[in-house]
Amino acid sequence: MRERKRELFSIQNRRRAVNLLSQACAILTVCFGLFWLGWILLTLLRYGLPGMSLHLFTELTPPPGSPGGIINALVGTFLIVMLATLLGTPVGILAGTYLAEYGQTGWLAPVTGFVNDILLSAPSIVLGLFVYETYVIWVGHFSGIAGSFALGLLVIPVVVRTTANMLKLVPNRLREAAAALGAPQWKIITMITLKASRAGIITGILLAVARISGETAPLLFTALNNMFWSKLNQPTANLPVMIFDYAMSPYKDWHDLAWAGALLITLSVLGLNILARSFFKQMPLGR
Amino acid sequence: MTAKLPKSKIVVRDLNFFYGETRALKNITLDIPEFHVTAFIGPSGCGKSTLIRTFNQIYKIYPHQSATGQIILDGVDILQDDSDLNRLRARVGMVFQQPTPFPMSIYDNIAFGVKLYEKLGRSGMDERVEWALHKAALWDEVKDILHRSGYSLSGGQQQRLCIARAIAVKPEVLLLDEPASALDPISTARIENLVIELKKDYTIVIVTHNMQQAARISDYTAYMYLGELIEFAATELIFTRPSRKETEDYITGKFG
Amino acid sequence: MANASEVLTEGSIVVPRTSSTPPRRYSLADELFKNITRFFAFLVLFLMAAIIVSLFIGALPAIKKFGPGFIGTATWNPVTNVFGGLVPIIGTLLTSAIALLIAVPVSFGIAMFLTEMCPASLKRPLGTTIELLAGIPSIIYGMWGLFVFAPIFSQHAEPWIDSHLGGLPLIGPFFSGPPIGIGVLTAGLILSIMVIPFIAAVMRDVFEVVPPMLKESAYGLGATTWEVVRNIVLPYARVGVVGGIMLGLGRAIGETMAVTFVIGNSHSLHASLLMPGNSIASTLANEFTEAVGKTYTSALIELGLFLFIITFIVLALAKLLLIRLSKMEGKRS
Repeated sequence: MRERKRELFSIQNRRRAVNLLSQACAILTVCFGLFWLGWILLTLLRYGLPGMSLHLFTELTPPPGSPGGIINALVGTFLIVMLATLLGTPVGILAGTYLAEYGQTGWLAPVTGFVNDILLSAPSIVLGLFVYETYVIWVGHFSGIAGSFALGLLVIPVVVRTTANMLKLVPNRLREAAAALGAPQWKIITMITLKASRAGIITGILLAVARISGETAPLLFTALNNMFWSKLNQPTANLPVMIFDYAMSPYKDWHDLAWAGALLITLSVLGLNILARSFFKQMPLGR
Repeated sequence: MTAKLPKSKIVVRDLNFFYGETRALKNITLDIPEFHVTAFIGPSGCGKSTLIRTFNQIYKIYPHQSATGQIILDGVDILQDDSDLNRLRARVGMVFQQPTPFPMSIYDNIAFGVKLYEKLGRSGMDERVEWALHKAALWDEVKDILHRSGYSLSGGQQQRLCIARAIAVKPEVLLLDEPASALDPISTARIENLVIELKKDYTIVIVTHNMQQAARISDYTAYMYLGELIEFAATELIFTRPSRKETEDYITGKFG
Repeated sequence: MANASEVLTEGSIVVPRTSSTPPRRYSLADELFKNITRFFAFLVLFLMAAIIVSLFIGALPAIKKFGPGFIGTATWNPVTNVFGGLVPIIGTLLTSAIALLIAVPVSFGIAMFLTEMCPASLKRPLGTTIELLAGIPSIIYGMWGLFVFAPIFSQHAEPWIDSHLGGLPLIGPFFSGPPIGIGVLTAGLILSIMVIPFIAAVMRDVFEVVPPMLKESAYGLGATTWEVVRNIVLPYARVGVVGGIMLGLGRAIGETMAVTFVIGNSHSLHASLLMPGNSIASTLANEFTEAVGKTYTSALIELGLFLFIITFIVLALAKLLLIRLSKMEGKRS
C-alpha cells in the first residue's frame, strides 16, 4: 500500500516536473520571439529617429556626400501604391463576390478560390518577374506603372479572400429577406450583402495596402528607382527600392537616409494595420 | 360547405418538394382564401415553413431545392411561369422568424423595396414610409429616428420594421414565417393585433408553432405532419371538432 | 368536414393576370452582373496561368541550352555564359530549413503560451503584437541583419561555432569557416525571426479552434497544461498546425529582401553554413536588372520558374491540408 502511494507520488512529481518544464519553455520562447523583434524595432528607432527631419519631406534624394531628403521616393511610393490599390481592389471585390455569391455550384468558384490562396502567398519577386516579362519588355522601359501592376497582383488575392470570407459571414436570411421583397440578385448583392460586409472588406483593402507599402522585391524590376521627380511612365523613385539601394551602398549618409526611410515605412505599415483592425471592430455584422 | 368558402388566392395542387433527394412535402393540395388569415401548425420539421417558402418561390435562391405540382396564384401557375420571380416576390411578401433589418437606416429599409418597382417622388416616398410604419404600428416609436440604423431598434421593433417593409411594397399576399417566435409576449401581442388588422387588405398566411396564436388570429388552420397536410378547415372547426385523430392528438397536447 | 382535397373553389379557374404597373424585368441586369463577377473570377485563374506560361517562355532558351542538368550544375558564370541553378536552389532550401527548424518550436511555444497559459489581460495585447509584427516589411529584417546582427554574430557567435562545432565529426564541416557574419546560417536565422510571428499567429488561431469543452474535460480529469496541449490540443489541431507550418515555409522560400542583405550572394558551393551562398530570390534581386544577354536573363527566369513551382507545391499541400481540416471540423460539429 505504501509502495503504491509512493509510486503514485513519484508519477505525480514527474508529471508536475514535465508540466513546469514545458511551461518554462513556452515562456522562454515568448521571450525569445519578443527579444529579437524588440531589438529590431529599437534598432530602427535608434538609427531612424536621428534622420527624421523636415528635409526628408522637402528635398530630393541626394547624390552621395550631399544632404537631401526622400520626398520623391515618398510621393512615388504613394502614387504607385494608390494606383495598385485602384487596379487591384475592383478586380478583387468582383472576383470575391463571385466566389461567395455564385459559387455554390460549378467548378469555377472552388478552383479560383484554391488558386487565389496560392497567389496570396506566392513569392512577390516572381510577380515582379512576370510584369517585367509581359509589360516592361513590351513597353521597352521600367516604369512606375509597371510597379503598380506588380503590386496590384498582390492586392487582388488579399481582397478576393477577404471579400469572399466577409460575404460568406452575411447570414442567408438577409438575402432571403431582400429577395422576398422582389429584389433582383444584383441589387441584393450590391445594396445589401456587400454593404453589410463593407467594414470587413475595407479592412481587407487596408491590410492589402499595408502589405504592398513595404514590398520591395516586385518593384526591383518594374518601377526601378529614380533620383529625381518622374512621371509614372518612367522609372519612378519609391521608398522600398530606395532603402534597398541606399542600404547596400557604401556611403554613410545614404545609410542614414535608408534608416530614416525604413522607420517611416514601418510606422506607416503598422499604422495601416492598426487602422484596419479598428475598422474591423466596428463592423455591424460583428454583433 | 365549400360554397361558403371565399375566393381562393392561392391554389395548391399535388405539390411535392425536395431538398436534393429528400422529399419534404408530399402531395399537398389546398386553397388559401383571399383576405383571410390562414395558419399552418404542426411539429417542427413538418414542412409548414417549406410550404410557404414555395408560395413566393424563395427556395429558388438555393441550388438543389425543387418543387413539382401546381401553385396557382390568381390563375397563373407560378411553378411553371418563372419568367419574373422578382415581380412575383413583390406581390407575395414575406416576414421571417428572425428580424432581418438591412444594413441601412430605418427609412431606407422601407424605401428599398418600394424603389424596386415604383418611381415615387420624395414626398410620395415619405408618405409611403409613414403609411407603412403606421400600418405596422411602429410610427410613433420611430418617427423621430427615421435615419438611424435599423439595427438600433429592439427585437420587437425590428420585426415590426420588417413587417412595415413588407407591407410598403403593397403585396397581395403576406407570408409570415413564425414572425413572433423570437419575441417577448408584448411584442407578440402587437404583432398578432397587426395581423388581424392587416387581413382587410391582404391575404395572410402564417406559420406558427403556437396553437393559441393560431386559434386567436387565424380564420383557417392547416395541420401538417411529416410533410403531409393532415387537415385543413376553418379554425374554430379544427380546434373544436377536428375530423382527424392526429389533429386532435396534436391540439390536445397528446403529441408534439 | 372540409378535408384538404375537397376544397375546390373558383380560384382554380384561370383568370388572366392584371397588374397595375408594367413588370420591370431584372433578369438582364442579373445575368450581366453575374457574368461580370464571373469574368473577374476567371481573370484570377488567367493571371495564375499567365504567370506560369510567361515564366516558362522566358526560361525556354535556358531550358533548351542547359536541359535538366541546370538543377545539378553549380557553375554560374556570366562571362562564359554557363549557368546552373544548384547553388541558389540549395541556398533557398537550406535557409528555409534552418528558418523552420528554429521558428516551428518557438512558434509552438508562443501559441501554447497564448492559448493555455497567458493571463487574460495579456492575451489580446500580446496576440495583437504578434500579428502586427508579422506585418513588418521584410526589408527591415534584412537591414537589421546586415547592419546590426551580422557584425555581432561574426564577433561573438561564429568563432564559438567554428571552434566548438566545427571540429565535430559528421556535422563539423557544416559549421567550420571564417567568421564573416554573412552567409547561409545568418540568412536562415533572420528568416526564422521573420516567420516566427507569422507561424505563431496561424498556430494560435488553430489552437483556439479546439473546443473548450474538450480541454475542460481533460483539465477536469486532473491533466496538466502540458498534457492538455500534448494530448488534446495538438492531436485535434494537427492538420492545421502542419498547414500553418507549410504556409510559413512557403513564405520563407519566396522571401527576397530579408535574405538578400545577409546571404552573401556567392555562387560558389560550400559545405559550411558559415560561408556566403545564394538563394533563388536573392540571385534574382541582385542580378536581374544587370543581366546582359539572352542566356543570362533566361537562366535567371528559369530560377524564378523553379521558385514558383516549389512554392506552388508547398502552398498547394498546405491548402489541401487546411481544407481537410475544415472538412473534419464540419463533420465534428
